[in-house]
Amino acid sequence: MSEQVSASAPPQMVNVQINGVWHEFPKGTRVIEACEKAGSYVPRYCYHKKLSSPGNCRMCLIEMGLPKMGPDRKPELGADGKPVINWMPRPQISCAQDVSEGMGIRTDSPLAQECRKGVMEFLLINHPLDCPICDQAGECRLQEFSVEYGRADSRFLENKVKKPKNIELGPRVTLDDERCILCSRCIRFCQEVAQDDVLGFVDRGSHSVLTAHPGKRLENNYSLNTVDICPVGALTSSDFRFQMRVWFLKETKSFCTSCATGCNTVIGTREDVIYRQTPRENDAVNSSWMCDYGRLNFNYLQSEKRLLEPEILSGDKLVPSDWNTAIAHAAAQLKHFSGWEIAIIASGRMTNEELWLTRQLATTLGVDLIDIVPRTGPGDDILLSVDRNPNTNGARLLGVTSYPGARLREIVDGVASGRIRGLVALGEDAADIGLTPAQLAGLPAFVVLNLLANNSTAAATALLPSFGFAEKRGSMINGKGRLQRLNRAVRGPGQARDDWEILRDLIQAYSGRNGIYSIEDVFRQMSESVPALAGLSLSKIGDLGVQVLEIEQSPAPLWELESEKAAR
Amino acid sequence: MTGRFVSVDSTNKRISAELERKMDEAISRYPSDRKRSAAMPLLHLWQEEFGFISDEGVGWIAAKLELQPINILELVTFYPMFRQAPAGKTHIRVCRTLSCAMVGSYQVMERACAAAGIVRHRDDNGMHHPFSVSKDGKYSIEFVECLASCGTAPVCMVQDELVENVHPENAPALLANHQSLITHHVPPPHPLEYRLIFKNIGRHDWSPDIDCYLRNGGYEQLKKAIKMSRTEIVNEVKTSGLRGRGGAGFPCGVKWSFIKADEKKPVYLICNADESEPGTFKDRYIIHEDPHQLLEGILISCFALNAKTAYIYIRGEFPEGARILERAIEEAREKNFLGRDLLGTGFDVEVYIHRGAGAYICGEETGLIESLEGKRAYPRIKPPYFPAVLGLYMCPTIVNNVETLCHVKHIIEMGGGKYASLGRPNNTGTRIVCVSGDVQRPGYFEIEVGAVTMGQLIYDMAGGPRYGRQIKAVIPGGSSAKVLRADERFKLKLKQPDGSMADQEVSLYEIPMDFDSLAAAGSMAGSGGVIVLDDSRDMVWTLNNINEFYAHESCGQCTPCREGSLWMQKITDRMLLGGGVVQDPDTLKNVADNIAGRTICAFGEACAWPTQSFVEKFRDEFAARSQKPVPPPMPPEYTPEELIDHDRIATTPLKRNPGREETATAGTI
Repeated sequence: MSEQVSASAPPQMVNVQINGVWHEFPKGTRVIEACEKAGSYVPRYCYHKKLSSPGNCRMCLIEMGLPKMGPDRKPELGADGKPVINWMPRPQISCAQDVSEGMGIRTDSPLAQECRKGVMEFLLINHPLDCPICDQAGECRLQEFSVEYGRADSRFLENKVKKPKNIELGPRVTLDDERCILCSRCIRFCQEVAQDDVLGFVDRGSHSVLTAHPGKRLENNYSLNTVDICPVGALTSSDFRFQMRVWFLKETKSFCTSCATGCNTVIGTREDVIYRQTPRENDAVNSSWMCDYGRLNFNYLQSEKRLLEPEILSGDKLVPSDWNTAIAHAAAQLKHFSGWEIAIIASGRMTNEELWLTRQLATTLGVDLIDIVPRTGPGDDILLSVDRNPNTNGARLLGVTSYPGARLREIVDGVASGRIRGLVALGEDAADIGLTPAQLAGLPAFVVLNLLANNSTAAATALLPSFGFAEKRGSMINGKGRLQRLNRAVRGPGQARDDWEILRDLIQAYSGRNGIYSIEDVFRQMSESVPALAGLSLSKIGDLGVQVLEIEQSPAPLWELESEKAAR
Repeated sequence: MTGRFVSVDSTNKRISAELERKMDEAISRYPSDRKRSAAMPLLHLWQEEFGFISDEGVGWIAAKLELQPINILELVTFYPMFRQAPAGKTHIRVCRTLSCAMVGSYQVMERACAAAGIVRHRDDNGMHHPFSVSKDGKYSIEFVECLASCGTAPVCMVQDELVENVHPENAPALLANHQSLITHHVPPPHPLEYRLIFKNIGRHDWSPDIDCYLRNGGYEQLKKAIKMSRTEIVNEVKTSGLRGRGGAGFPCGVKWSFIKADEKKPVYLICNADESEPGTFKDRYIIHEDPHQLLEGILISCFALNAKTAYIYIRGEFPEGARILERAIEEAREKNFLGRDLLGTGFDVEVYIHRGAGAYICGEETGLIESLEGKRAYPRIKPPYFPAVLGLYMCPTIVNNVETLCHVKHIIEMGGGKYASLGRPNNTGTRIVCVSGDVQRPGYFEIEVGAVTMGQLIYDMAGGPRYGRQIKAVIPGGSSAKVLRADERFKLKLKQPDGSMADQEVSLYEIPMDFDSLAAAGSMAGSGGVIVLDDSRDMVWTLNNINEFYAHESCGQCTPCREGSLWMQKITDRMLLGGGVVQDPDTLKNVADNIAGRTICAFGEACAWPTQSFVEKFRDEFAARSQKPVPPPMPPEYTPEELIDHDRIATTPLKRNPGREETATAGTI
């Protein structure tokens, strides 16, 4: 109902009294949000700011009043010059109304407290209270609000309502109906965001249960968001279920590198093992959601195919080595050739810092033939981008490619004709661009930097194991031109090293010390040369990123689309 | 969840061209971009054809309406009239609600089952009362909630027919020749009555067809109204002081004036014919006996509101009423009282019937609107969804009760001022009061509002209590109204002989039957359903029966009502079985307090008020059944059954065993 306030005009402000103190809020602010901003968090279950408000949980009941109107139809003013408030006798929900001029709100009055206690008790009488074995324990709103509004004892002497348990709603989501508090967040998410109306309530009253139609499954690419927004342990991730108590998880803010969208995430880890990724709110990127594909795309970091130690070619086979030897070996191999005899295959999955150093390496070696490998897949109009490289824009900006993949043919032909004799493959499988095992095996110098063994690693003359996205720091520019920052969530395995360090060491093998001791140094060098990054640093990127490129015809951020939809 | 679909998916029948034609016709009654509204009509058609809604039916209807199967499954499981398994050849519905239960509907059920060879089962944990089928498949039977014929209790439905005054000993006859059991007859008006709406009801020369209606001045008021301006009509209704007869008593003219005169969106009028408040049975008779009166009221209202489409949402248990109204609409169309260019005014108006399917919550206007949109009848939050602004299809919508709309016709006939002279200030006109329960002559009486007292109504009009009995309590406005004790004293502002108003202490029998007096007495006039309880009634049993109704009818959308209504039922269930603990009365009262005023819709009050008032006013009876010590919270394996078995409280046996669903207790307590 709220009027759309255009970005240019300053929003109209309204005065609202919350718990006796007057505050100003932009017109169109939800009461529940206003209370939160004023420091009086109102507990809620069904309300989610990115979804419609059904007002069904009744947890956010507060006392509300409107200005008392005098005979002249103007608000009567009290001794303090502020409007006198007419308090409504009945409690009101705070999730479905916007603030208005002169409105009064009491979030902690005896009535509001009593309402919450009543609702808490109702929600728990038929709840299984199986917290010790519930995955939600530790991040469960029932637990949290029980601390504040729950009773220590139960007055409920009856049998609880029995409902279905352990239902596979789809390949990734498991449902326990007895824990469900029927808030309908998941149903609304499927209808309003995922556009896959697959969940619903059946039966009635206290016996209502959440379900999918027996012939349908919750298998859309956004299904795991329902687990995130489920305020209780009803919907759980089949992948994460029973793997780790959430309070043991270390949380690291990062973003997803599975496509050019770069959804902001929190990576949950314990002792260098990643247990889950969950979306982190960023209205400029991913609203509050992420796709299942990206979310679950981290297990490769814990795969048996990880490269754990540097190897060099000795005779006709690769043998383990140490880093100093391996770097020296790789540099020596490439030194045999002139720049025009070398090609570099870089990757759109590399960070800006790595791409910058790649560019430096190319300059040092006098290499001109360099490109990244394009990577595409079916996209959708929600979050998943057709471009599955997270940093194509970074590669363009830093001059590693002008049109991704345009020069790969040249590299293949060069190798085939024998002109290219030294090949550097950074984070990509050279076999993927059409080079045959025989061609690769015939290369006198084939330096491979990667984190996983692949079809071409066996042909390497120097194999340099590197880090995955969760193991390193660095920045990338997403498909819409936003610079975002990766943070280290876990340490890399074995002797694998951070990619930027490997590249720096390679460069230093040619040119000696270059004053780069930390990734901050790389970024500083880069920002001094690249106008789009001028004045920035890794710390200035912050948790939500910085817009650095104006991308033409970039689609509107999801949040805007959602707002438009809500307005309709 | 999957299991229940495997065995029933046996229709696999071809959808006949005739069925599909009927379905297409049903779909055409709703705006072309609102096909979902046809979901319930299609489900009714499917069930009429195949006997139940199979999984195939769910899928087929979903595809037909371009919906997801879950959208249809949500409806099938919400509305109890839709079955997911075949019923017997003859399907019997026995009303289980208060007025019927008081005169033996549980015994009717027992005996009918014995005669049909049905062993009743109860789903331990299901929401709806399950139906049971005899082994030979000939009969099936189920309990249903109030069938809105409380004056002729107990009542049953055999197939689509209402069977009234079914005495337990006659129950077996339900299986054989049910038509002959209809004993309903309309007594002549009582001298204390003032009949406007029921003027023609029961007349020997009266029939519900349009010719009879026209011979008696029918549609003259419509002709008069179309010569008036819209504002004039709305003003007449405002002047009349007419208050809604559905339960809330909101001034009708004020409601109408929420519709802007220059409204750009389509305006809808909905006639709420979902009569289902226990104790109320007036709308059924208006529809059956005088459908054109209702239609004329609707058409005048449509004209006044510039509503080009009206829907009559009639409860599913009134199939005959729906047929009568369909026929009346066709008759009126032939005379151009509706359809294109109504009587040459250039005003196009269509009236459609939309059948419910057994959900009390559809009586709540926003629940009704959701239901009409083809969804579960979850009431909407207000604000922002005030029907007059964001109603049906998010367009301005007026929802009025059947009786209210009939009054519109009489307001046009008499003029608002004259109409307002009937009754008392702020309580104008006439209203139909339904009396059921422990009286000698239950029935409906149309009275001038406030011109008759509770005593006159119960003793003079309804014949008073049965021989040898005394009145113990009265529920004055449908089962959700707070109960009034016969020996209570009430302080009311009443008109004195000299015309002045003064506070006066009165007995129950001196309370005038009007909105304000009953509200001042701490209850409400509600839907006009007066249920009388005599001294043979156990108040715990009575409340338990009411609680079961509300627990069954709670839509389950918002927390307090969903959880609280069943909790209250479970407590009174346990108390009746001898397992009441000392804290039970306080718990009951407090649970009710935690529901009232905190829910999305007025159902919260409806289910809380009975408990609040019964426990408060009959504390001694509740205390007598709540004598056990409060059990310690541990051990967790402790069950309520143990509480009941251990030292069962010796309570005096009920003077008359009214029956209840004891088989249920093992599962639900």
